[in-house]
Amino acid sequence: MMDGMVSGEGRTVEADSRRGDDAVGKGGETRGEGGKYVYCIIRLDSARDFGPIGIGDGANRVYTVHYKDLSAVVSDTPIVIYDPTRENVLAHEFVNETVMREHTVIPMSFGTVFRSEDDVGELLRSTYQAFSDVLDKMQDKIEFGLKVLWDRDKVIADLERSNDEIRRLKDEITRNTQSSTYFARMQLGRLVEGALEDTGNSFVSDIHETLKEVAVASRSNKPIGDRMIMNAAFLVERHREKDFDEKVREVSRKYEDLLTFKYTGPWPPYNFVNIKLKLEKAE
Amino acid sequence: MGLLSKILFFPVTGPVAGIRWSLEQVQTAVETELTDDSRIKQELMELQMLVELGDIDDAEYVRREALLMQQLREVRSWREHFGMSAPGGPVRVARGASAEE
Repeated sequence: MMDGMVSGEGRTVEADSRRGDDAVGKGGETRGEGGKYVYCIIRLDSARDFGPIGIGDGANRVYTVHYKDLSAVVSDTPIVIYDPTRENVLAHEFVNETVMREHTVIPMSFGTVFRSEDDVGELLRSTYQAFSDVLDKMQDKIEFGLKVLWDRDKVIADLERSNDEIRRLKDEITRNTQSSTYFARMQLGRLVEGALEDTGNSFVSDIHETLKEVAVASRSNKPIGDRMIMNAAFLVERHREKDFDEKVREVSRKYEDLLTFKYTGPWPPYNFVNIKLKLEKAE
Repeated sequence: MGLLSKILFFPVTGPVAGIRWSLEQVQTAVETELTDDSRIKQELMELQMLVELGDIDDAEYVRREALLMQQLREVRSWREHFGMSAPGGPVRVARGASAEE
């Protein structure tokens, strides 16, 4: 199964047995020393510099630490916990986007900091095989996100026009304002709820079907908020990016009166890579 | 004693044991509540959505993001307090571990 992303889910908290380690931030930090923020893993066997685009204050250079033919893309950082603020998350993403232009990447989860270059090397050594396998699988594949939101009122108005039973009940209620309509109102409410659910499901499966043809894989995530009916990720071959774009445009035109499409990407394959790293806290 | 102690103490021991049990339940519930960051993350994603849709402006986003970050930090410190793993901070490969795919 491939889902999620490289994360420290398998993280174990153990007392650090190394004693007397040099204190954090001994000053005069130069490149190669101090903490390393890791963005992603790529297939590259030589040193590379991606420019001063790293996370944190100041223009931190983004460069590679390599082991055999694998490289971790890192920047120097003090040993801190990064809050997932928009600014920090965008900085993390910007680096991955930049690297992605020329490489297939395995993204690391946000905020992963190692104490030293040696620790990053140890990560590559100990996880070499898993990283290699996943890089092969993800070769030239990118991810797109598609969130679909609906305007409930518009969909209901549409249902009242198109669904005979709902229209009939509604007319009956409008004509007859006596107390006997209480039951009819209840029935109408239930009918509308049911029809809404069916309609939502049919929208989602139609969109899925349309896009499946041009994607390698797809994954549904939990919708965010109450207006969202679909929150999906699609894995697409790089050379089919245009085809996928075209299909998204096609399906969003089809539903433009009722649905709002939020189309994002290309992303690193966050939703299609799942390597559980056994990481522990390094105090 | 036997039967007599049961008769004498039953009305007392019963409720006391009950109270102790329910206090433990409260303790567990509080711990779970204090150390769970899934709600905060969900709210953060919703907030992101709201600003993208233009439902809230940037200033409002920044204000609410700051509150959520504060809550995340509190959860992190409670997790550390209860000896649970906490996201963020320096990590290294656990000894003798091999990653699984």
